[in-house]
Amino acid sequence: MDPRQPVIVGVHATEQALSLPHHTPMDLAVAAVRGALADAGLTTDQVDGAQLDWPGPGAPGDGSSWARPFGGRLRWTSDAMLDNAGVRGLLKAAAAVRAGYADVVVVGGCRLVTRGAGNQPVGAGRSLEFTDVWGAYVVPQFALVAARHMHDFGTTGEQLASVAAMVRNNGTDNPEAMMFGRGPYTAADVLASRLIATPLHLLDCCVVGEGGAAMVVTTAERARDLPGPAITVLSGSMEYRQAAYVNPALYREVGRIGEAAARRCLAVAGVSVHDIDAFSLYDPNSFEIIRQVETLGLCREGDGGPFAVSGAVTRDGGHPVNPDGGCLAHAWNGTQQLTLRVIEAVRQLRGSAVHQVPDAELAVVANAGSGAQHYEMCVLGGPS
Amino acid sequence: MSRPVPEPSSLSEPFWAAAGRGELVVPRCTACGLRFFTPEPICPSCWSPDWRYEPCSGRGTVYSVTVVHRSPGPGFTVPFALAVVDLAEGPAVLSHVVGIAPERVTIGMPVRVRFHRLTDTITLPCFAPDEA
Repeated sequence: MDPRQPVIVGVHATEQALSLPHHTPMDLAVAAVRGALADAGLTTDQVDGAQLDWPGPGAPGDGSSWARPFGGRLRWTSDAMLDNAGVRGLLKAAAAVRAGYADVVVVGGCRLVTRGAGNQPVGAGRSLEFTDVWGAYVVPQFALVAARHMHDFGTTGEQLASVAAMVRNNGTDNPEAMMFGRGPYTAADVLASRLIATPLHLLDCCVVGEGGAAMVVTTAERARDLPGPAITVLSGSMEYRQAAYVNPALYREVGRIGEAAARRCLAVAGVSVHDIDAFSLYDPNSFEIIRQVETLGLCREGDGGPFAVSGAVTRDGGHPVNPDGGCLAHAWNGTQQLTLRVIEAVRQLRGSAVHQVPDAELAVVANAGSGAQHYEMCVLGGPS
Repeated sequence: MSRPVPEPSSLSEPFWAAAGRGELVVPRCTACGLRFFTPEPICPSCWSPDWRYEPCSGRGTVYSVTVVHRSPGPGFTVPFALAVVDLAEGPAVLSHVVGIAPERVTIGMPVRVRFHRLTDTITLPCFAPDEA
């Protein structure tokens, strides 16, 4: 193996809850960073790259704010919210590590959603001239895509509800999940929950809460000196259509987002989608799971509804999706839920997941989706 | 509190001025002819900075629709029909379909622009079923 092959050697998720009133975002960011470094067997003075949320004074996106807490040792930072989390953050850290710009990069932090208007699209502290006036917040944007898919392919509300129930029930018996102990749900329960924006009912949509997460990326060579298993970042790819929420999401433009990323990512890793043992997909709503099983190539465009309710994506199925409960039931906390998707895949490959897929050796992680008009995906490999 | 009100920029001011006169206009690139929305400094297809607002018929077809039940915030009456409308001349625009029960709006429905005065300075181009 290339000695600079990027690997994930540490992960940490803080408590995830509806509200963590006794914690500040800085507490949670620090806890996430310290936890991930401890998990890796590293200390803060061994870090030379930081893609971390800065919940302190100054510009929130300015990664250089972390340079002082890291003792002036940083060689690599980021300046953008979505570079500090999830697959995008992971891939940028991995690229820096492989290229030799840094050796140990921590990605993550905590960015809490402000309560109040609550339905604002992520990143819309800025006003969106042709969006806000129509009330086109995040859920209706995704709903517009789902509605067209239903029109074009006959996907049903019952199929969405069945998928929602299945993934939510993975969170029912996950002690870390916000929805731990709630449910189990049936499709009928989901359909009976109040409508948010057709076709999406409340229980078709992910939770909203608070919490942080972080991960540590280093080289395979460095990982040999560390106590824990090294999870290999085998490949990655992203897609962008346009800036999120400035223009509405149209199925004919965004419906297949992720298809090109999947083809490229799987080809670079040298595997087929059918070789993947566990899928950790971004599920802001049930429709996005139906859409992604199509774009990943598990079934044809339009067949995602029947495929997703066939048993194929249950935690015992041939293509388990979100065995931990996903964003639907485990957590959604502003941006670090993107990192939690990576963490679930890492745990699956370490053999330490709450709902372990037997002998998992390859995992796919994917973030964002049609309504958000961007997509990031990676293939991770277990320790050899 | 009231609904979020668009704050026109130098790019969008002619759009809102036209809406105030009961006219629907969209950017059209002088170099390549593309009609696009929302207004941007350069044509998204050929990158030319030369485009101008041109009038449209106001007719279109519903490309997708969602009935919003959970209010986005102050100033909205739910449920309402949030729709993407394919203008006859292109492009697609986001709007509300009014003049019909929201749950009766269907994909493929022909619609025509209907202007709704939001404030003294902003008039919104909504759409209603096109009876013609």
